[in-house]
Amino acid sequence: MELSVESVEAQRAAFRPKTGTMEAWNAAYVRAEDYLRAHRIHNRLHQSRLIQVLLERAARRHAENPALDPTTLVAEETELLMDEWFGEMLDVKDMPHDRIAIAGRVALLLSDGAEKWPYGFLDPRAAPAEFMTAMRAGSMQAGPDMAVSSMVPREIDLGPITEAAGETLERIEKWPLLRTLVLWLVFLAALLGIFYVTR
Amino acid sequence: MSTSQSTRISQIITPERLRRRRAVFYSGVLLITSLATWFMADLLWRNDGIKGIEWALLVLFVILFTQIAVGFVTALLGFYVINRGGDRHSITRTVDWDSDAPLASTAIVMPVFNEDVSRVFEGLRVIYRSLQETKKLENFDFFILSDSNQPNQWIQEEIAWVELCKQVGGFGRIFYRKRRHQINKKAGNVADFLRRWGKRYRYMVVLDADSIMSGEAIVKLVAMMEKNPQAGLIQTAPRLVYGESLYARLQQFANRLYSPIFLAGLNYWQQHEGNYWGHNAIIRVQPFMEHCALPDLPGREPFGGRILSHDFVEAALIRKAGWQVWLAHDIEGTYEEGPPTLIDSAKRDRRWCQGNMQHAWLITVRGFRPANRIHLLMGVMAYVSSPLWLLFLVLSTVHVFNQVLNPSQHFNPEIYTSVFGQIIEVPEALSLFCFTLLLLFLPKIISVVAVLQEDAAARRFGGRAPVVVGSVIETALSVLLAPIHMLFNSKFVFFTLLGQGVSWVAQRRGAEDGTDWREAIITHGGQTAFGLIWGVSSYIISPAFFWWLSPVLAGLVLSIPLSIMLSKESLGRQTRKMGLLLTPEETEPPHELRRLTQNLAECYKQMRPIELLRADYGLLQAVLDPYINAVHVSMLRQRRPSEESRDWFSLLRHRLLSEGPESLTPKEKLALLLDAESMICLHEELWRHPGALLADWWRLAMRQYNVLTAAPITALYR
Repeated sequence: MELSVESVEAQRAAFRPKTGTMEAWNAAYVRAEDYLRAHRIHNRLHQSRLIQVLLERAARRHAENPALDPTTLVAEETELLMDEWFGEMLDVKDMPHDRIAIAGRVALLLSDGAEKWPYGFLDPRAAPAEFMTAMRAGSMQAGPDMAVSSMVPREIDLGPITEAAGETLERIEKWPLLRTLVLWLVFLAALLGIFYVTR
Repeated sequence: MSTSQSTRISQIITPERLRRRRAVFYSGVLLITSLATWFMADLLWRNDGIKGIEWALLVLFVILFTQIAVGFVTALLGFYVINRGGDRHSITRTVDWDSDAPLASTAIVMPVFNEDVSRVFEGLRVIYRSLQETKKLENFDFFILSDSNQPNQWIQEEIAWVELCKQVGGFGRIFYRKRRHQINKKAGNVADFLRRWGKRYRYMVVLDADSIMSGEAIVKLVAMMEKNPQAGLIQTAPRLVYGESLYARLQQFANRLYSPIFLAGLNYWQQHEGNYWGHNAIIRVQPFMEHCALPDLPGREPFGGRILSHDFVEAALIRKAGWQVWLAHDIEGTYEEGPPTLIDSAKRDRRWCQGNMQHAWLITVRGFRPANRIHLLMGVMAYVSSPLWLLFLVLSTVHVFNQVLNPSQHFNPEIYTSVFGQIIEVPEALSLFCFTLLLLFLPKIISVVAVLQEDAAARRFGGRAPVVVGSVIETALSVLLAPIHMLFNSKFVFFTLLGQGVSWVAQRRGAEDGTDWREAIITHGGQTAFGLIWGVSSYIISPAFFWWLSPVLAGLVLSIPLSIMLSKESLGRQTRKMGLLLTPEETEPPHELRRLTQNLAECYKQMRPIELLRADYGLLQAVLDPYINAVHVSMLRQRRPSEESRDWFSLLRHRLLSEGPESLTPKEKLALLLDAESMICLHEELWRHPGALLADWWRLAMRQYNVLTAAPITALYR
């Protein structure tokens, strides 16, 4: 049986969560609103329609299991709805939730979909073909294809004096006591030098 | 040198001509140093010959005066070159600029490390647009090579990269790479790029985070490389720009006014055996990869271990392999920024000092070219000369003290200058003093005269009178700053030798954005005390000697107010309003700089996050914002963590959401940001958790974030 637009609207207007407290559903409403705004959905009309859809889906699940928090349910329903929508928009099936959510959000960002087609977000009927094309066309490549090669330091001949100095330094570093002794000797030599020139 | 290397001899200048030029340069240095040494030795000789401390003074004098002579002769040669209308034997004259020079695949790489993200990406946008206007963009790819280890910087960079690519259509041409481990600093960062993508490009243009280059300058560099297949590296001479504080404006004025003659002189004698300054240069990738991987030095840091100042060494290595290194000092459209304050400048010197002192190992490397040995030596001496100057001055004080104690040796004012037996009625010391002043200041005077000669050139500096007044102010202040730098550098050399780090006072930037009194007193307190004690002692020993020392003492005693005064942006603005210390880039700003100024003004207008959220705003965005989270995750490498690390990450996530970011150490935050699975989970868990399960910080973040994202912007430049 097909429902008329008026009857759907009437059903929507008559929607009341059957379980849960008003505070919990208000919090769920605010969370859904915040999440949509975080997606730059600033069209209030479209936003409120989406929120109602999400709340209805959450309310149905809450009625089955009232122990669950409405905020959590709304967030989960939003993710599910977005996964479905991203799958359709990007024409990908059977992709795990993590991947479709990431790929979809990146595609949405690159296409500027939320701003350019404000009524199209999460509504396949209202998403024009250009929106779909723009989402499928967007790709984010952080680097070109790798052309791996090596860059290895060559042996460097420091020259006999420097080599000898280097070896001495490395030897001194292995013997902290010797290093301290050398430093004290240098200090004492400096003191003697000062004494000699100022005596 | 192998056969293939020997074919890469310079075709720009004949070896005979180059030898003549170098003979002129070295003879000039030798002649001037000998003359001054003669004056000095004669002066020390007068009292019963040269003994003990006098020998020490004389040796130090020769070392230090040689450095002055090198600068002076370089400037004189540069003046000669400029007056002749430029050098016929320069790399820029090898290309016919009227024809369409062929180009090749070039990567423009910009290594960044916790820099101002807006400045980095707006700078890159300007370079990109400028190259686009040359209609040669298809030859170039851009790489932001990030080593940033601050979450805020890292996330901002990712966002800015995406936004920039969206705005200029740069996906597939502008790339972003963040290293997981920051091995071997900037040199390691560039080497990592080369290992991944180096083979794709014939050249790379290396930029600093604050570099700007016009498209035309970059195209010219590539064309010169193509024309000169023996060239391995071409360095440009970046102009200092965007100075706001008085200190920065003084530096950029001096750089713009005096550097042309020094650069022309440098190119005159070094030719194809130039140096690399680390950025604003083009490099032939293949020989660079083959020959310029940096070896470790014997021992550990600070002297040994990894090479910190890589650029000089890379130039020496590529020269050792037979490739040429040129200085294209006459290329316009290449810029960088200088440190805004004296203390910032000292902090930079601290890093450079340690790096340059390591070069002492490399001066005698077998196979290095003599010119590169001189570059390395000059790099070492740039810092080691400071403690030598200090020692020279202290020994001079002791010498005067000895003379006061022994009246028979007391200074005799009747000692006049004697040249080849001819007595000139001028005290010997005064002659030497005037000769030194001449060497120090004549290059500045020549530079000013060169500018005053041309109407157009003078106008670019604000007019004839402002150039003269500006150079007098700059000279007076540089005289006061010299002893402060001397003490800073002496301390850095000493601490480097002892393997100690130097601690700095945390900056408390006010609205005026300058050095505050606390920072200045703690940083310069020792210098002031040293100056006071030295001044009082020398006055007690000999008032005449005190007056000789007074320019050095004045800088030290006044170091605190001087440092504060020079850091003021208000004074910088005031001098600009008065038409003083102007540079051509200020009076006739090039298109690229104008564009960058406008873009940055727009960026900085954006609302900043509230104080409570600011410290962890990068983490906030990466977790909370659906787009930024997706971008961040898609740029992370997916890994399969062990069960143990999974449990650890799960614990960290729980703490982050329930207790807020202050419950995590910076390392833990970075670990979470590097773990793709955790970032996906955090985003979902944050939005799923009822408010009661979240820390107050996150509840505030959610409320505030939506206020800030009311405008349709993707959190760029916040």
